[in-house]
Amino acid sequence: MTRRRVLAAAALALALPLVAVAQEPYPSRPITLVAPFPPGGVADLTARPVAAAMEKVLKNPVAVVNKTGAAGAVGMQFVAASKPDGYTLLLALSSISIIPEADKIFGRPPAFTVDQFAPIALISADPTILVVRAESPWKTAREFLDDAGKRSGQISYSSSGIYGTLHMAMELLSHAAGVKLRHIPTPGAGPALTALLGGHVDALASGPAVILPQIKAGKLRALAGWGDKRVAALPEVPTFKELGYPDAEFYIWAGLFAPKGTPEPVLAKLRDATRAAVGDADFRSAMDKMETPIAFKQGEDFQRFFDADARRLAEGVRKVGRVEDKK
Amino acid sequence: MLETLGNLGLGFSVALSPPILFYAFVGCLVGTLVGVLPGVGPLAGISLLLPATFGLDATRAIVMLAGIYYGAMYGGSTTSILMRIPGEAASVMTCIDGYAMARKGRGGAALAIAAVGSFVAGTVSVVGLMVLAPPLAAFALRFGPPEYVALLLLGLLVLAYMSSGSMVKSLAMAAFGLLLGMVGIDQMSGYFRFAYGVVELGDGLGVVPVAVGLFGVAEILATAGQPAPPSVIKPKLRELLPSRQEWRESAAPIGRGTVLGFLIGILPGSAHIISSFVSYAVEKRLSKHPEQFGQGAVAGVAGPESANNSATSGAMVPMLALGVPSGPIPAVMLAALMVHGVSPGPLLIQQQPALFWGFIASMYVGNVMLLILNLPLVGLFVNILRVPYPYLYPAILVFSILGVYAVNGSVVDVWIMVIMGVLGWLLRKLDFETAPIVLGVVLAPMIELSLRQSLAMSDGHYGIFVQRPISAVLLAVGLTLVLLNLYSFARRRSDWRTRIALAEKGEESP
Repeated sequence: MTRRRVLAAAALALALPLVAVAQEPYPSRPITLVAPFPPGGVADLTARPVAAAMEKVLKNPVAVVNKTGAAGAVGMQFVAASKPDGYTLLLALSSISIIPEADKIFGRPPAFTVDQFAPIALISADPTILVVRAESPWKTAREFLDDAGKRSGQISYSSSGIYGTLHMAMELLSHAAGVKLRHIPTPGAGPALTALLGGHVDALASGPAVILPQIKAGKLRALAGWGDKRVAALPEVPTFKELGYPDAEFYIWAGLFAPKGTPEPVLAKLRDATRAAVGDADFRSAMDKMETPIAFKQGEDFQRFFDADARRLAEGVRKVGRVEDKK
Repeated sequence: MLETLGNLGLGFSVALSPPILFYAFVGCLVGTLVGVLPGVGPLAGISLLLPATFGLDATRAIVMLAGIYYGAMYGGSTTSILMRIPGEAASVMTCIDGYAMARKGRGGAALAIAAVGSFVAGTVSVVGLMVLAPPLAAFALRFGPPEYVALLLLGLLVLAYMSSGSMVKSLAMAAFGLLLGMVGIDQMSGYFRFAYGVVELGDGLGVVPVAVGLFGVAEILATAGQPAPPSVIKPKLRELLPSRQEWRESAAPIGRGTVLGFLIGILPGSAHIISSFVSYAVEKRLSKHPEQFGQGAVAGVAGPESANNSATSGAMVPMLALGVPSGPIPAVMLAALMVHGVSPGPLLIQQQPALFWGFIASMYVGNVMLLILNLPLVGLFVNILRVPYPYLYPAILVFSILGVYAVNGSVVDVWIMVIMGVLGWLLRKLDFETAPIVLGVVLAPMIELSLRQSLAMSDGHYGIFVQRPISAVLLAVGLTLVLLNLYSFARRRSDWRTRIALAEKGEESP
């Protein structure tokens, strides 16, 4: 064999797998679903039943990987930078639209931008609920907001962290109602609830599933919700929309994304798989147990929801601005 | 009381059923392994195994996860004592005197005392959990940010007792640790501090890579730097068990560690880590021979190891009685309950008596299992010391890197460990102690957040710390401690610390 032939053979050997990859039907190997938050959080607990149900449709393993850190930025940056071949997906929460805005405010290079992702489907969307302690003086949202208007900056609330989802919900409300509330950030939704129960803050915006047991036990009172409609489990609690604050709309949502540039046939396959997965009986019972209603949207519908939500959140983050500048 | 016994009967009928017994055993076994492996702690272990519990029912899942949690506290002491590598962050204090004991040929005794101390603490604290959960949980809730600041300041004061040498040096190390704890996203403003564009640093320097680096890697480097390899210790079988004297010296520390650990465990935060630091400081303060600490004092092993085990039961109090997490580990366990359709909340004990009492009973059973599992293993583990260093240390280094990487799947963490290892080696050469650095890294983010939360609550008025009764009392206790020390310092200038310093000087000058 001449030297040239050897080289040609080597080149061919190297090229072959590439050709095979380009032609193989999707999916033909395990898929990684990145949950950018630790096990036990909303993203993780949604990702696992979704992955299990998608496995059945795609006939390939879907492995949930928790890539955590920096309020989700680590995992989202990882997916944004990974190969757009449909083998690395992201289960994101609304923080996907918040983090780039916060980066902008601080003038730092963004960890990722929203347009690095192609939306596949919305899985769930839970409106936040405004809760106060049962022994607090406010019986209705109206009383709460009136009092907040009178005692500007005196009524405090806890959140899951600055620019976090629970902070944004309250921020949207206080701007819609034109009141000023005092913000006490905590490291997560659990500590935020503890702060309210312990009497260290006056109010909290929280997802319904976490506070329902506390409401049933007579510890907390729900005043109003941020949803478009009332929450099924709390039919007597009005929405802020009904009370005349249509801008106070906010959801804790979970959706599936792929990196931008993923081929359209692959995205189509993923959309079909997600639709089938959401109808899966095991998936439905898993979400039921966590008292998280399924809110499936895809294509144009999801894009519209996502854009409107991102716009509201961007506006909210800008209104908060840089906290240390205000002092 | 009669009702409690009846309920406990129900609990044992659940806990002793073969499937629950099996999952409790699996949890304890996995926990022990997770504890033994350097770096991998209970949080990583529980997180990795959470998905595996989705197929089980709620009681089995929670029994298994709890087994991992307290099992890890048993296992964590093993590598700390034998190799000076903290198996998990709560075992840092055990490294100091445990390892010193092992160097004297008392490694087996240290392991046995750690296991028995853990058993006593585990069992007694479950009694506390069972009898006192609802009232204690209500009390724990009253600990808001201002109370926490006062408590943590008190915690910083005990730092002074941790050092065995120069007070200035150990305070310098604590300050350095506090500074390292400043790295990461500022919780109040969202600002990235000292991250230099590395997104992974947003969460700050993890306790695990810092502890494994400063202790484990530094120890390996120090040993490698010695002109002749240290002699291999060949433990004899009759030396495995603690002597009568050692039992006597560890009885009181185990008791104090149990109570301290349980009380600290109830409070939110990384309580099991802090409890071991506090217990060590208390034992050193109360000891008649504080100069022995750092040289292989039995109390320095018995106290912290009991405290960190007891703290795990304490951490379950707010979780079971109120449905709120007291730290990251109970948060994952709460999620496990929610996945199974059990809503954790104030009504859990009434609505799910079989689950609650079964869980309590399984903790009694689990602690017995762990004792039976761990005591025979003492003989086995001690034999690791027979392996010559050229083979043992590279293997430990590999395990440390794997363990640290596995926690977050982050290479940045491995780099932190390596850098801390080199730093720890340098500091040891210069006779600085590194345990205060770890305490600083643990405490800094908590103190800072609580302080700034408190000031946000009061709109910037420092009066909030003295207006609230619990924080006022804690601050008063701290102030009294400082004054008492100043008094004794002024009256009797040469305490044990200066005696040691003098003795060391005497040795150095020929």
